[in-house]
Amino acid sequence: MVDVEQRLRPGTATADVPDTPASTWRNPLHPWGAEGAEEEIPSNPHRDPREVWVRTRESKAPLLPVGRLRYYHKWPGHGGRLWQRMRYWPTRRRVLHIRGEYNPKTLRREKTIVDKRPIWWVLGLVALLLAPAVMPADFQNTLMTAGATFGIYAAINLCWMLIIGTAGIYSLASYAVVGAAAFGTAWLSIHMGLPWWTLPLVGSAIGLVFGLIIAIPAIRLDGFYYALLTIGLNELCRVYTLQSKQFGSSTGGLYGADTYIPQSWSQESQSLLAYYACFALMVAALILYRFVDGRRLGRILKMAPEKREAFAEATGVNFRRARIWVFIISSIGLGFIGGFYTAHYRGVSFSIFSFDTVLLGLAMLVIGGIGRAEGAVVGTAIVIFLDKVLIATGPIRLILIGLIMLGVVLFLKGGLFGIKAQFGAWRDKKKSERRSRRAEKGGEMLPEEATETKDKDLIYWRRYDKMQRDYLKSLISPEIIEEHRKSPLGQHSEPLERLLLYFRRAPLADKYAITVVKPFQAYRIVALSGQRGVAPRIVEDKVYPTQDEAYHGVFLRRVQDLLET
Amino acid sequence: MAEVKIFGYTDKISVKPGQSIDVFVSADGVSEAEAKLVRLIHGDEHPDGPGFLEEEVACEADGPWPVRKQYTQVGSFLEVADPEAVLALEGPLTLHAFIYPGLPEAGQRQGLLGRWDNDRNMGYALGINRKGHLEFWVGRGDEVDYVEAEVPLIAKTWYFVAATFDPASGRATVHQESVANRYNGLLGRVAPIDFRSHVAETFRFRPKHLPDTPFLIAGTRDFHEARGHFVSQTYCGKIDRPGVHGRVLGEAEFDAIKGGALPPPDGMVAYWDTTAGYTDRGIGDVVIDAGPHKLDARGYNRPVRAQTGWNWNGRNDCFRLAPEEYGGVEFHYDAMIDCNWALTRTVRLPETLKSGVYAFRLRAGDGVGLGEERVVFFVRPTIPAGKVALLFPTASYLAYANEHLSFDAQIIQPMTGQPPIVSEVDIEMYKNWEFGLSTYDAWADGNGVCYSSYRRPILNMRPKYRISSMGVTWGFAADLSILAWLEHKGYAYDVLTDEDLHVEGLDAIASYACVLSGTHPEYYSERMLDATEDYIAGGGRYIYMGGNGYYWNVAFRDDEPWIMEVRKLDSGMRAWAARPGEHYLATTGQKSGLWKNLGRPPQKLVGVGFIAEGFETSRPYRRMPDSYHRTVSWMMKGIEGEMLGETGLAYGGAAGLELDRYDLNYGTPPHARIVASSGGHSDNYMLSIEEILYPYPGLAGSQDYRIRSDMVYFTAPNDGAVFSTGSIAFGQALPANGFANNISTLLGNLVDAFIAPGRLPGALWVNDEKQWK
Repeated sequence: MVDVEQRLRPGTATADVPDTPASTWRNPLHPWGAEGAEEEIPSNPHRDPREVWVRTRESKAPLLPVGRLRYYHKWPGHGGRLWQRMRYWPTRRRVLHIRGEYNPKTLRREKTIVDKRPIWWVLGLVALLLAPAVMPADFQNTLMTAGATFGIYAAINLCWMLIIGTAGIYSLASYAVVGAAAFGTAWLSIHMGLPWWTLPLVGSAIGLVFGLIIAIPAIRLDGFYYALLTIGLNELCRVYTLQSKQFGSSTGGLYGADTYIPQSWSQESQSLLAYYACFALMVAALILYRFVDGRRLGRILKMAPEKREAFAEATGVNFRRARIWVFIISSIGLGFIGGFYTAHYRGVSFSIFSFDTVLLGLAMLVIGGIGRAEGAVVGTAIVIFLDKVLIATGPIRLILIGLIMLGVVLFLKGGLFGIKAQFGAWRDKKKSERRSRRAEKGGEMLPEEATETKDKDLIYWRRYDKMQRDYLKSLISPEIIEEHRKSPLGQHSEPLERLLLYFRRAPLADKYAITVVKPFQAYRIVALSGQRGVAPRIVEDKVYPTQDEAYHGVFLRRVQDLLET
Repeated sequence: MAEVKIFGYTDKISVKPGQSIDVFVSADGVSEAEAKLVRLIHGDEHPDGPGFLEEEVACEADGPWPVRKQYTQVGSFLEVADPEAVLALEGPLTLHAFIYPGLPEAGQRQGLLGRWDNDRNMGYALGINRKGHLEFWVGRGDEVDYVEAEVPLIAKTWYFVAATFDPASGRATVHQESVANRYNGLLGRVAPIDFRSHVAETFRFRPKHLPDTPFLIAGTRDFHEARGHFVSQTYCGKIDRPGVHGRVLGEAEFDAIKGGALPPPDGMVAYWDTTAGYTDRGIGDVVIDAGPHKLDARGYNRPVRAQTGWNWNGRNDCFRLAPEEYGGVEFHYDAMIDCNWALTRTVRLPETLKSGVYAFRLRAGDGVGLGEERVVFFVRPTIPAGKVALLFPTASYLAYANEHLSFDAQIIQPMTGQPPIVSEVDIEMYKNWEFGLSTYDAWADGNGVCYSSYRRPILNMRPKYRISSMGVTWGFAADLSILAWLEHKGYAYDVLTDEDLHVEGLDAIASYACVLSGTHPEYYSERMLDATEDYIAGGGRYIYMGGNGYYWNVAFRDDEPWIMEVRKLDSGMRAWAARPGEHYLATTGQKSGLWKNLGRPPQKLVGVGFIAEGFETSRPYRRMPDSYHRTVSWMMKGIEGEMLGETGLAYGGAAGLELDRYDLNYGTPPHARIVASSGGHSDNYMLSIEEILYPYPGLAGSQDYRIRSDMVYFTAPNDGAVFSTGSIAFGQALPANGFANNISTLLGNLVDAFIAPGRLPGALWVNDEKQWK
């Protein structure tokens, strides 16, 4: 404020303030004897407000053509016809999330599929279903084996994604649970002769017990420490089984369990059955994922993301309980998969506990993107493809996996499936950078801004406001400031009146006002919110002893704001 | 601890000594408040005046009162009386209505009609969802099922909407079709919009019903543990002729209703005929059910009736001509008419109470800031005792009650020519929707507020309050300056209110020798106007102490005088404009708007009428040559010089804020004299809009001769007389300089003369002038 006052002290006009030759203004109320109406006061020479309009013939910013061609089809609205909408039984979810809207440019009724994922899922799953029919015969064996492995790993990763993504628990013990269930069921099948179809169920029970055990520390530990603990657990399992005769320390694992694959079938039929069984396992895991992540538990946890737990808790969300539930449900799922694993491979090897298995699994999650089912599945597909199909390339493929993972971690925020959102955010950033570089501050709207403005009247208002300000800036002079200081209310000279009328007509958001600290003794300047129900905010600490001084304080602030635009 | 705040209101505004008055108080952060009955004398803290003056009066209610936080139901809606739970339909159902959404894009769910419990998620309802789409939903408690229309509703367009549900098949549908015609909505036929949508889905379950859920129109039932049951998801917009059927109506039947036919009687459960019940004298809050069960609905927070319906086609401008076109009932989610708080205390006033302005002073916590409240009411005498009556313009207080202009009206700063000075009270009022709005505000959807009541804390009807947009006292606190003057001069005076004048008519004031108005009696009902006219014509002597008076035609119901209705239209200085076809008062059937436009300009009553307003400076008057005539020169006894009112608490002069002018063309009595006039007003004073046929440059104070305040005097039949000050600031000039100023002297001369029985001074100086000079 002091700044403006100094700059505008009579006789010290600076570059910002045009050096105006002396002129006078005669107060029409002087003959009436109105209070404070001096007969003649120094003022600005007359300036025609139309001058700016005559002078301004084009926008300072280059106005580039905008508009985006519609090169694809958009469904029209249903109009007067009945639209029968389908749901996924037994939920209330519609098969496709479709937004009906009016095209803002034409008012045509249009339908937009807001979430296209169901379509991609159906296409993807159908492709997997039909894949065996189109596999090249040379690679048939490799591909079928890889496909089955993919199904199992995708199922594991989906459960793991529930723990890491949905529940936000950094557990690295998922393979330990699978392994424990697999070893347990293998042992039971070999020694107790359990048939193959009981193995997943028994595995689930083992998973439940394991899940409960690992869940307990999760109540107290989080982040890095919990991850460490779970790695330790993984290692413990590995070392234990490695040294345990019971679990086949001599044979590299337990083998000889019952399997669902009839040994009498041909090799081809066997691998086909294995492929579809694993596919079914993955679909089951997807359903589990959907029912945990997309329903009540998942929603509770989405309210309590990392670092905002305290807020969620304060609003009554029991996120700890929800986390533990998700953890236990997933562990049961992992146990089931462990049982299936045994029934699929007829046993299990120690490598399931090995650290590289965990890391490979982690790579699958990270590449796809944490927190989404498609991330887990596609991440698994990529890594399995590299690891199992390109097995001929040797250790190079592991380096490739590492590089992909590194790239994802370095450049992508949410894995492959976060690319779209990340790209959108990046484009928005670039957009606003470009706009701010091209546009004149407070000046005419750019065509691209105009297209985004619903009420086109505002576009004109921006032009008008700009013209007004260009003119009014030229009116600010020490004489005007002094005139206002002497009498903030009442009849003013033409230039001051113009300034005041402009200031007073400003929109309400952030418009200055005065607040009473003590009537007739102390006032402060505030800014109105322009939003119903929202109190004004204090803009400065200064206390003005009289109303007139406060009025002048507001005026100086407004002048300052005007000069700054 | 929460910040201590205390607010209150009374059930009556005007009482007599010995009567009981109910006081309703809500307090934050305390459980006890210290109450004291006080008589208010002066309410302007301006340093040039006597400051705030009150006198403690002994009363049985003095002492600590237990107080608590009270909750207010905001939002207007209709509640259906359905004790038999007929509307808890187990079988198939159809809901249908015509709607005119005011703010579909509000971003919050709005209930249209249904029997729905928000807290327990049970029942069914048709409403507007957060995206602005029509939606029908049913709830079972643990689960809710929805079906929504394809496209969002377009604001300010009439739609026929319906929903059906068949529990046997689970099939639910929603339907919307536009019923816009050339007149009834925002958009014309040229806008290429397809409004239609019909969507069907299969629900998983049938709704469960709670026994006590009410069927609501324009809201849904909700629950809060501290507050109990209340209504949330209230709606903004109009609803016309809603109905419920106990079967699924078909497309042909919908088409018939949409075409204007009555809904089929087969299966009809309820059909609220919003066009039924209109009389020549208006309509009440009950919406009649023309169905078999007679489940009438009652309005809460006074939904606005007499509004155009879906089939209004521009030819008729009033429900009196075509009630069948006036089925629109308008709702607002920020409407608030009556706080309906629990009674805090019934106080029996002392028998010996002198007529005056009183308040219960409530102090809670440390008793400063919002911890101190004065609940104002007026005590009139049991039998009129004084010769002078001061008539407090409570109708105008209602009009301005809790106004938000400084915060919400972009035009207020150019109008008042200054930045607003907002106080703690203003901010509290703005933050809190529960204080309701004034007739100077708009509801959230942009429509002007047409109802105001005093059954809520009116924080600007308090002593010391200064209107934020103008920085001076206004209304009540300004009127106290007149009371302080009467008190200072020692006149025997009584206090009356607009409510007394409206309810009792002439009887309220007939016995007084002289009646003084308030500084701004802007809002007048026909009965008040008639009584004032009859008083003057019957020999009464009336001093119009203000400016811009007798301006708007307003209405009160006989049984609810605490609620006032006004419609602002066509011309006049107005905060909003009523929509076409909605210019008549639902309360009385009269056309609202300016009295001038109804054939009764204020000049016809008091010789002057509104000409201009401005809010940053005031001016004095100068005697006019006509004031030297002996019929009027007696008023100037003891006054030196020609200038009058060069001081005052409102911008330092007696002529300011809103000004009235003499005008023979509007019925100023032909023998009226202009005693003095102001002049030299600044350009912030602009000519009033109803005077402008064509605007042209120069319609402001320093360039238009009409912009002035005239002091006008004329005699009336039976030794009656009228003196008009023609300026709001006149009253605030009285206390300046310890009441020793020439405005005070002038008014003293007038009151002295007016209360003296017999002929008026100067009454015999009426011969033709045959003068040498």
